[in-house]
Amino acid sequence: MNENRADALQTMKNIAAHPELYIADWKSKQKMPVIGIFPMNFPVEIIAATGALPVIIQDSKEPISEGNSLLAEFYCGYTRSIADQAAKGMLDIFDAFMNADHCIQLLGSVDVVRELLPDKPVYFEHLIAAMDDSWTKTQVQEKIEAFIIEAERVTGQPISDEALLACIQSNNKNRQLLRNIFAARRNGDAQFSPAELQAMIVSSMIMDKNEHSALLESVLADAVAKPRDQRIRLHLSGHFCHAPRVELFELLEDCGAVIVDDDLYTGARYISTDIKESMPPRMALADWYFARNETIPCPTRVQKTVDWDSYLLNALDNSGAEGVIVVMAKFCEAHMFYYPELRKTLNTHNIPHLLIETEHEGMPVETIRTRVEAMIERIRRKSPTRQITQESA
Amino acid sequence: MSSATPSSVNRLKSNDAGRHMIADYWDRIFTANERDAQLVWYNGAALNPIFQAAGLEWAHGEAFAARLSAQKLEKSAQLAAQEYGYVGELCSYARTHLGTALLARQAKEKYSKGIVDDAERDDLASRLPMPNFIVNCYAGCSTGQQWDEITHRILGKETPIFNVSLPFLWSNRPDAGYLKGQEWEEASDYVAAQLYKLIDFIEVQTGRPFDWDALRQGMKYIKEASEIRREAMAMCANLPAPATFWDWIASVAHINFLPAGPELVEYFSNIRDEIAHRVASGESAIKDEKYRLYFDGIMNWNKLGTLARVFAERKVAIVAGRYTHNAFWQEPQLIDTDDPIRGMAQHYLLCPTNHGFQTIKHFTKHDCELYGLDGIVFHSTRTCRAFTGPQQMLAKAMQKEMGLPSIFFEGDVADESFYKGELLESRLEAMLETIDVRRSRDFIASSASNA
Repeated sequence: MNENRADALQTMKNIAAHPELYIADWKSKQKMPVIGIFPMNFPVEIIAATGALPVIIQDSKEPISEGNSLLAEFYCGYTRSIADQAAKGMLDIFDAFMNADHCIQLLGSVDVVRELLPDKPVYFEHLIAAMDDSWTKTQVQEKIEAFIIEAERVTGQPISDEALLACIQSNNKNRQLLRNIFAARRNGDAQFSPAELQAMIVSSMIMDKNEHSALLESVLADAVAKPRDQRIRLHLSGHFCHAPRVELFELLEDCGAVIVDDDLYTGARYISTDIKESMPPRMALADWYFARNETIPCPTRVQKTVDWDSYLLNALDNSGAEGVIVVMAKFCEAHMFYYPELRKTLNTHNIPHLLIETEHEGMPVETIRTRVEAMIERIRRKSPTRQITQESA
Repeated sequence: MSSATPSSVNRLKSNDAGRHMIADYWDRIFTANERDAQLVWYNGAALNPIFQAAGLEWAHGEAFAARLSAQKLEKSAQLAAQEYGYVGELCSYARTHLGTALLARQAKEKYSKGIVDDAERDDLASRLPMPNFIVNCYAGCSTGQQWDEITHRILGKETPIFNVSLPFLWSNRPDAGYLKGQEWEEASDYVAAQLYKLIDFIEVQTGRPFDWDALRQGMKYIKEASEIRREAMAMCANLPAPATFWDWIASVAHINFLPAGPELVEYFSNIRDEIAHRVASGESAIKDEKYRLYFDGIMNWNKLGTLARVFAERKVAIVAGRYTHNAFWQEPQLIDTDDPIRGMAQHYLLCPTNHGFQTIKHFTKHDCELYGLDGIVFHSTRTCRAFTGPQQMLAKAMQKEMGLPSIFFEGDVADESFYKGELLESRLEAMLETIDVRRSRDFIASSASNA
């Protein structure tokens, strides 16, 4: 691997693994605030337009201890990790926090942050989830304005439309670069592993976007497509708010599968939609909220005119994926609600699929392996070409 | 010959007398199709005065799940939901109600083919008729809108649905607080505007103009019933408590979704009068009251009678709770009966899970002081993340700021498999011992200072 490309990839991996080091370094150089952002719908361009750094807060790999005495054990791993990080001082590096998502578990953890870090602003505006109603559009526009005012107050920096547009452009560029990489994977290029793709996305959530785009350009400058082999092609679906453990990807590949597409939050969902540069920037930020749910529907929103299950069928057609692994963060209610709809559609179309629930600590590798192997076997038996290939082998 | 042990629970007789109102209400729901009445399914806030004024029948999803669970008839609905693919950790209210939606759809499909299934007809969970339309108005929990979105999908996406979106009262600004501040006023206006749109939607669905006079009249009855209910609750500050949380649980259906009318006012007047009589005569709601506790969490409908007995047998009066005392038209002064929409919108926002932690702490402290309570019991409700969110911080804060001990017990709103009774009993006894020790210390300290 070319050295520049290897260095750039390694930098992204390091930052994804240790956001705190990057944040501390950025702060010491830029002398500007860092704002912690909770997933999944806050438009980070607002913060970037003040010169501050917006960082989407990741779950920590550290086992949850104190967090379990702040939130119930049946809260999802991400929210308990947030509480845990707050209790252990791991969020002290942030100067303020912002959230636009009404998930009751997420709000529980954000309230913990507010209680444990009383000197830091913890701001929430509720972007209404009912996407079809005309009054939601007005409300979201008002909330975007409120976020802008709060960002100005917290950072002490005014936000001009010019600054917003510049940040929209740099974020769009970053999304486009990442989308190109994901599109190449969909079209048969296997040069990046799933873990590397995840590191690219997670580091994008943490870093200054111009800096991140420069790293991506270094990687892409020396990119050489690597044709995908003949393993079983899978689509990974779901897993909101935080990244699944890379051990899961490794296990799937170990079982004879190759991941060709996804709609994970720390994947294609995060980069799905650009903010329109042709619109006035404040309007464009509100428009983005609705547009994202049209591109890849999310079960945390309610919208009659889009279906996640239809999206999924279409995505499978585009990528040629032969099966779906639904990756559900345990206790994620929105996902629990929608999963049977996905299951019904996949069953109707005779598409093999498997539900894997993930937890913050521990992954029952051998149990999952058995289930994945059974699913892969089912796909092989379903495809005459696959059967012939296997018999020849 | 053995004799029955007298119960430690002295239930309000007026609650028993009002039970037929609930049965009558559900009978009207179950026969809605036969009577060609239009039926709306709804979840969340008490929109029923609007439906009543519009001449509709209304079936509250959570209430039906609660009723099934309280009667131990929830299993067929939960099984249908499980077979459809719902994970057991999903809100059991939703899981049960979605199960009834699946059963209702199945029954309709069979009926259309001329099949009459006796077993289904006898299964209460199968008897909820299909709705003409759905309305969602869910505060606090993000689950609410997702739940009815899925109901809409399960029923084939043809049933019209209307969402009233209720903003979470987070308290961003320094002026924010319970019933005050810019955020409260703006949210009230936002929801009120949606209620007018809901009424437009209902007019389209019913094909007739909305009866505003009927709404005003209905809200007069509700306001009066609520004032009487609050007056009666306040009398429970008396020692010994003349009524308990469990009595208030028995009247949740009445205040939350039964028709507004003179019978509702009479029902709560009877409760108030009975409580007043008990206060005057020194009659207690439980035998030999020794401890007074607060109940934080949503109700465990499967274990209603069991819980009432577990506490009463240990001389514990559960006097108040977040679910009963901070919900259900609890601020009647907000209702302007001539122009009721804004006051209704405000009540819809006042769901006890729709506040940030500081506001919840504020009204919990208020209730613990008002009712002279010794500790708190937290129902760690397995599939209700809305109620359980602030509980651990609340336990710490109430210990620190008021010296109140607390325990947690595990259970669920409508899935009895999560209930851990023995843990509750052992933890409760330990807490009562702590209260005894504290009282002894206080007594010794006070004797010493008087000596």
